[in-house]
Amino acid sequence: MSKAFKGYVKNKYSRPAPLKGVRVLEVCTLLFGPAGPSFLAEMGAEVIKIELPPAGDVTRSLNPFGWLYKEQGPMFMHINPSQYDMALDLHKEEAQKIFHELAAKSDIVEFNLRPAVVKRWNIDYETIKKINPGIIYIEKNGFGQWGQYAEEDRPSNDGAAQALSGYAWISSFPGRPPLKQSIWICDVYGAMMGEIAVLSAMHHRRKTGRGQYIEMSQSENIMRAMGWVWPYQQMANKGAEPAGNRDLCICPADTFLTKDDLFCAIAAPAPDEFKGLCTAMGKPALAGDKRFKDHATRLQDANALALLKMIAEWARTKTAVEIEKLGLKNGFAAQRLHSGKDMNEDAHRRERESVKMMDDPLYGVYPEHEFPVMMSKSPPKNRWTVRPVGFDNDYILTKILGRSVGQINSLYEKGIVGKWKDMQGRRPPPDWDKTSGAILRR
Amino acid sequence: MADYKRAKWAEWADHIRSLDDPAKNYEKPEALDDLVVLDLSSRSMAGCYCSSLLAELGAETIRVEPPGGDFVRTYSPHGIMKDGTGLAYLQEGRNKYHVTLNLEKKEGRDMLLALAGQADVLIETYPTGMMEKWKLGYEELSAANPRLIYCSITGFGQFGPESKRQQFDYDSISQARSGVQYGTGEVLPEGKTFKDMPYAVPTKAGPWIAWAVSGTFGAMGILAAVHYRELTGEGQHIDVATPEAYERLHDYALHWYADQKVLNERFGSLDTALWLYGFYPTKDGGVFLGGLRLEMWKAFADIIGKYDEWKAEEWTALAPFMKKDLQLKYQAMIDPETAKYTSEELAQKAVEYAKSGRLAPITTVIAPIVSPWDAMHDKNWIERGMFTPVKDPVYGDVVCAQAQWKATETPPRTKWVCRPVGYDNGHVYLKYFGYGPKKLKELEKKKII
Repeated sequence: MSKAFKGYVKNKYSRPAPLKGVRVLEVCTLLFGPAGPSFLAEMGAEVIKIELPPAGDVTRSLNPFGWLYKEQGPMFMHINPSQYDMALDLHKEEAQKIFHELAAKSDIVEFNLRPAVVKRWNIDYETIKKINPGIIYIEKNGFGQWGQYAEEDRPSNDGAAQALSGYAWISSFPGRPPLKQSIWICDVYGAMMGEIAVLSAMHHRRKTGRGQYIEMSQSENIMRAMGWVWPYQQMANKGAEPAGNRDLCICPADTFLTKDDLFCAIAAPAPDEFKGLCTAMGKPALAGDKRFKDHATRLQDANALALLKMIAEWARTKTAVEIEKLGLKNGFAAQRLHSGKDMNEDAHRRERESVKMMDDPLYGVYPEHEFPVMMSKSPPKNRWTVRPVGFDNDYILTKILGRSVGQINSLYEKGIVGKWKDMQGRRPPPDWDKTSGAILRR
Repeated sequence: MADYKRAKWAEWADHIRSLDDPAKNYEKPEALDDLVVLDLSSRSMAGCYCSSLLAELGAETIRVEPPGGDFVRTYSPHGIMKDGTGLAYLQEGRNKYHVTLNLEKKEGRDMLLALAGQADVLIETYPTGMMEKWKLGYEELSAANPRLIYCSITGFGQFGPESKRQQFDYDSISQARSGVQYGTGEVLPEGKTFKDMPYAVPTKAGPWIAWAVSGTFGAMGILAAVHYRELTGEGQHIDVATPEAYERLHDYALHWYADQKVLNERFGSLDTALWLYGFYPTKDGGVFLGGLRLEMWKAFADIIGKYDEWKAEEWTALAPFMKKDLQLKYQAMIDPETAKYTSEELAQKAVEYAKSGRLAPITTVIAPIVSPWDAMHDKNWIERGMFTPVKDPVYGDVVCAQAQWKATETPPRTKWVCRPVGYDNGHVYLKYFGYGPKKLKELEKKKII
C-alpha cells in the first residue's frame, strides 16, 4: 500500500482541502449548472448557490417514483452538497447590485441561463469584468451563446444532448432503438469539463492577472468524450453503429450472463490476459488459434463474434463470483455488475470512504458519495448536504458584505432577498428544530 | 454569414462569437504552458484522456511508452489501423511528445526518475503496487521532487481491501462496477427470458465513458493540486479509482436503497425520476421529449393536439406523472402520436409553439435522436468548431472532437493528433538530458529506448 495514503480516511479532516480560499457564485438550476460548482465546494471552495426566491431550483421537486427524503428531492441533495444557499431576486436592480458586490469579492461565477438573460439582469461578463477584472465567468447551457440552435432558442435537457450528440445511438444493441442512459451523463460530464475550464483559467489568472469568459454546451462536451467515433467515421467513411455490451475496440471485452443469472463483465485483450482467460476456460490452445492470435486479428468482426460466443457459453456454466475469482487467479479483468445494494454494503467502498455517512444538522445521517478524487496532502470532503431556499442569506450578507441586521431586514421587506416558499423541498425538513444548521439568526 | 433566421438577440450572439470563436484560438495564450506532464498510462485510456485535457491547454506533455509502444495503440474499431496506430489512440495522443523508455531496466528507471525531477505532473495507470516495485512510487519520486503531483488512475485505488487486485483497468469493467450499467437498459417483460430478448439486459454506454470521467476527475484533481502547490509549495499523490469516479455521477441509487431498499432497476428510455422525459418513436427514427415543468408537459399535449382529449387544462401538478404506472400509461398513449411525424417535424413544432402556441413562450424540449454520423455532419456543431479537422504533419487531416468549450482567453486546442512510437526521443532526451545522437544509439542498443 502507498504510504502516502496511510490513515487517509482517519486523518482526512486534519488537512485543508485544495481549493481553500476560492469563492464561487453560482446562479444555476437543474443539473448541468449546479453539479460543477458543487465539485469545487467538495474541493474546499466557498460556493454560494443563488436561487430566485421563493421557489428556487426546480430540481428540489424531482424524485424517483414519488420518493422524497425528508421532503427533499434526492437528486437535488446529490448535486448540490456543501454549498451555502442564498435567495436573491435578480429581476430587481437592488439585487443585481448585491450580486455585483459579491462578484467583486469572488473568483468564479457560474450560470446556466438561456442566452442573453445575463445581459437583461445586468450581470453579464462585461459588467462584472468592470467590477472585477480577474473574474472567471462561465455560462453553460444547451447550445452555447451562438450558432443556429442557440439562436433558435431551442430548450435542452440531458436527454436532448444524449440524442443530438449520437451518444444514445451507439449505447444500445444493434437493431434496437437508441437507449437513454439512466444517469444524466451529458449534464454531469459537461459540468465536470466546465470545472477543467475554470480551474485552468485560475492558473492562467495567477500568472497574468487576467480573468476570462467561458461558454459551453451540453452536447459538445460529451462529443469530446466519444473519442474514436469521429476519426473512424472520417476514415471508414461510414457511421459508427451500436454494439450492445461488446467493446468494439477491445477484444474480448463484453458483459456475460452467468450460471446464477447475474451479469459479469470480462476484459482480456492483452496477450497475458487473453492467455489467462483461455486457461481459465480450460481451452489454453485457443490463445494460439489463428483467428485469435493477436489483438488486431481478434478485433475483426467474425473473429470477435466467434470468440465472444465461446466465452458466453462458458460464462453460463460459472457463477459470477467464480468468474471473478478465476480472473484474479489467471490475470484477466472480471467484475460482477454492482447495484445500489452493493454500493451500500461493499467493504471496499466503505474502507476507502468513497461511500460515507453524512451527518447533517438538517437532514441527519444518510449515505452519500465522497468526492472521487483522493488527494494525499489536501483531501477533498463532502461535508454537508443542501439547504432550504435562502437559508444562509443572513450569514452571507453579514459575513461578506457587512450588512447590519436593520439593513438585512429592509432587504427582506423589499423582496430583494427572500426565503423559502412553504412547499416541499423549499422549506426545511419537517422534523427541523428551527435552529440546527443556521449559522446566524437562529 | 448565417443561413438561418437570426434571433432577436443576434447582436449578443455575434458579440460573444467575436470574443470566443474557436477559429481564433491560435491567437490566444495557453493556460498551462508552464507545466510539464509525464504520462505513463498503460493499457488505460483514462490516463491518456487525462493527459490530453492538460495537453489541450498547453501543458508540455511527454507520453512515455515502452519500446514498441503501449498496448492502447492496438485499440481500434474492427481492428482498423492507420500507419500502425489504432483509431482510438490516433486522436488521444494529441499535443503530446512521444518517447519510449524501458522501465523493466534499471537505466530506464533512472532516466524516468530524472525526468520526474524536472516535471510538475506524473500520470500512471499500472495496477497498484507496480510502480512501487520499480521504485518509482510516489515516495521515491517525491523525495527527488517534492513539488511533483503524482496522479494514479486505477481500477481499485491505492488503498482498501481490493486495491491489491493485480488487474489492469478497463472501461467496461468500471462501467460494470459503478452501478450505472445495472440500472441502464431495456426492461425484460414478465414471462420473457434473456434468451428471447438478449438485448433486454443491463447495458453499458457505447463510448469509454468511465475512462473519460476518470481522466477528467483526475485532471480536476491535478489542477486543484496545482492551486494547492501555489499556496504551500507541496506536491502530492492523487488517487482516482475509475469505478468510483463514474459512480459519483450516479445520482440517488445509493441513498434510495439505503432509505427504501429500492434498487435502481432498468426503466428503458424513460427516467425513474423525471416526467416528461424519454425517447419516443417517430416516422423516421425517434425523438427525445423533455418537459420538467407542468406547463411544458401541457404544452406537449397541445403540440400533438391532445390538450382537450387528455384534459390537460385540469392537470395541477407534475408530481403524480412521475409515478411508475402513470409514466407507462402515458408512454403508451404518446407513442402512436409521435409516430405520426418525422423527428424534424416534431422538433420544428416545438420551436414554432414557443412563438405562437397557447402556452407560448413555454414549449417542450424535442430533439431528434441522431446517429454520430449525422452529428458529425450537423452544421451547428461544425460552425462551433467541434469537428474542424486537425492538420497533422504525420497523419494528415484527422477529424476528432475538439473545442469542447469556447473561451475568450485560454481555450483548449488540438495542434496535432498523435505521433508514432518514439518519434520525439531525439527532441525530448536532448532537451531534458542533453543526450545527442551518440548517446541515443547506445541507449537503443541496450534496449532502454
